[in-house]
Amino acid sequence: MFEDPAIAEAMRAYVLETAPVLALRLDAQHCVTASNSQARKMLPANLVGRPFAEQIVTFSHPVDLPALIRQGGLVHRLTVNTASGMPESLDFRFFSLPDGVLALGSLDIQEQQHLSSELLGLNSELNNLTRQLHQANAELAQLNQLKNQFLGMAAHDLRTPAGLIINYSEFVLDEAGDRLSAEHREFIEICRAAAEDMNQLIENFLDVSVIESGQLRLQFAQSSVPEILAGVGPIARMLAGRKKISLLVESPDDAPPLCVDKAKLQQVLVNLISNAVHHSQPGQRVWVSAHREAQQVVFAVRDEGPGLSPEDQSRLFTTFGRAGTKKTAGERSTGLGLAIARKVVEAHGGRIWIESTPGHGATFLFALPIQEYTAKP
Amino acid sequence: MTRSSNSSFAPEETYGHYLDGLLTNNRLRCREIFQQWLDSAPELRTLYEQLVRRSLYQVGELWEQGKISVATEHLATAISESLLNLTYPRLFAQPRNGKSAVVTCVSNEYHQIGGKMVADIFELNGWRGHFLGANMPEADLKLLIEEKRPDAVALSLATALNLDRLNHTVAEIRDAFPTLPVIVGGQALRWLERAQVETQPGVRALNTLGELEAWIQNGPEKKHV
Repeated sequence: MFEDPAIAEAMRAYVLETAPVLALRLDAQHCVTASNSQARKMLPANLVGRPFAEQIVTFSHPVDLPALIRQGGLVHRLTVNTASGMPESLDFRFFSLPDGVLALGSLDIQEQQHLSSELLGLNSELNNLTRQLHQANAELAQLNQLKNQFLGMAAHDLRTPAGLIINYSEFVLDEAGDRLSAEHREFIEICRAAAEDMNQLIENFLDVSVIESGQLRLQFAQSSVPEILAGVGPIARMLAGRKKISLLVESPDDAPPLCVDKAKLQQVLVNLISNAVHHSQPGQRVWVSAHREAQQVVFAVRDEGPGLSPEDQSRLFTTFGRAGTKKTAGERSTGLGLAIARKVVEAHGGRIWIESTPGHGATFLFALPIQEYTAKP
Repeated sequence: MTRSSNSSFAPEETYGHYLDGLLTNNRLRCREIFQQWLDSAPELRTLYEQLVRRSLYQVGELWEQGKISVATEHLATAISESLLNLTYPRLFAQPRNGKSAVVTCVSNEYHQIGGKMVADIFELNGWRGHFLGANMPEADLKLLIEEKRPDAVALSLATALNLDRLNHTVAEIRDAFPTLPVIVGGQALRWLERAQVETQPGVRALNTLGELEAWIQNGPEKKHV
């Protein structure tokens, strides 16, 4: 039954219509006279009667269609206009007919090209997002810089009045304290204490401003561990003494000299000791020690306070990253001391961390590499 | 801006290796050369014009001549675009002057790398370059212009086939924002007459990144005369 010419014609027509091939019949002038369903679906409408060359997208080099047709059967990649408006590249073969040309365009590469374009699009999108991310980061960095400048200026201007309040409060208390009523004396002491707190806050703001703007300049010099610890002794004892806390300083005998900015490191130690005192009850102890571990010296400040949860520990060394624990005597904290300590320690090439179990005190440690001091000319 | 120069840096020689890297999908080699140019070129514009744009034009020509496949052309574009990310730390560190430009490719235009370089040139000159990406629908573009209130709009036209869409977009912008300067650039301008693009008042066709930089530095108002 398949020998029946009508069936053969039907099958030929079916194959021609459904094959994944774009088929165009061109006349002798290379105008389109017929197209299969793939061609009608993909190419612009009303193609019949128009020159095929009109549909070929050219850039700087014109396509010589008659020359391509003369090469008969060879594959030519041509970019053509499509119904979607997007040009598509297809591999064309041209076969001469008695009264014209059969143009067959392969659709095989089309799917690959779509996938490739999709991938390229995703890649572009990713690159655009990267660009936006960098742009946003740069803006944040600029805002942070502005914030630091503002912080520095504001703190600098606040320091003078705060100092005046402290100084004049002390004058009044020293020189006329005995003539004041107990209540008035208390008022002035409150003023002085508040101004001292404010002064500390301003100092911290200035430190943060300097550190974050990248202007932290360390004065490196050779120093010994006992020397560093001895330097913090008086203020540490005063802080501990106020709350009746025992301070135990253990200075090692075998620690090698360190190349450090002694004043800044002592500021770190005072911060840690002050922190330990704030979280300790009268009668408890605070230990300050240092020991050598391989090529580093580890300083430690240990207290018997309430300790810290892992969540609190994770945000402790960030700016304004205060822990949830309360100070035992209602002391106030700026949340900047540990952030400053971390920056100073890191500027020395060291690291700072905490070891603590809630309910069993806390130990703040920082390790500094042992480096030889080389005096700059 | 003066950058540290590398005495062994030979732009012409490395350009050849870079182009080879693009055509053979050797991303690492391209990255190495790109970085070398980034470290040595006095201006980012030089890097964009003499390495990125030049190589991509050449890749495009090779594709048009049937000497490389579409896949190779796409890979070369993808490599080039990802390498532009290396310039960002230097690019976005420039001080801002408060001006901004919206940069995009018209709808149906998928070649975005030129537009991105244009946005970067705005950034280099202290402007904020809002790059909206490829194939930007007109309605969305107008909404974004309304939202960002830029000092200029830059449209990229890579394929001349999209000229009608470009002119339609330009007319829409001119209608909605009568005084907003519009600049048009892109590879397609190589085959177009200036008059085919400058169809509306306040529209300027710019052929190179150098022309763009001069336009930015001389002030958009001069283009109206």
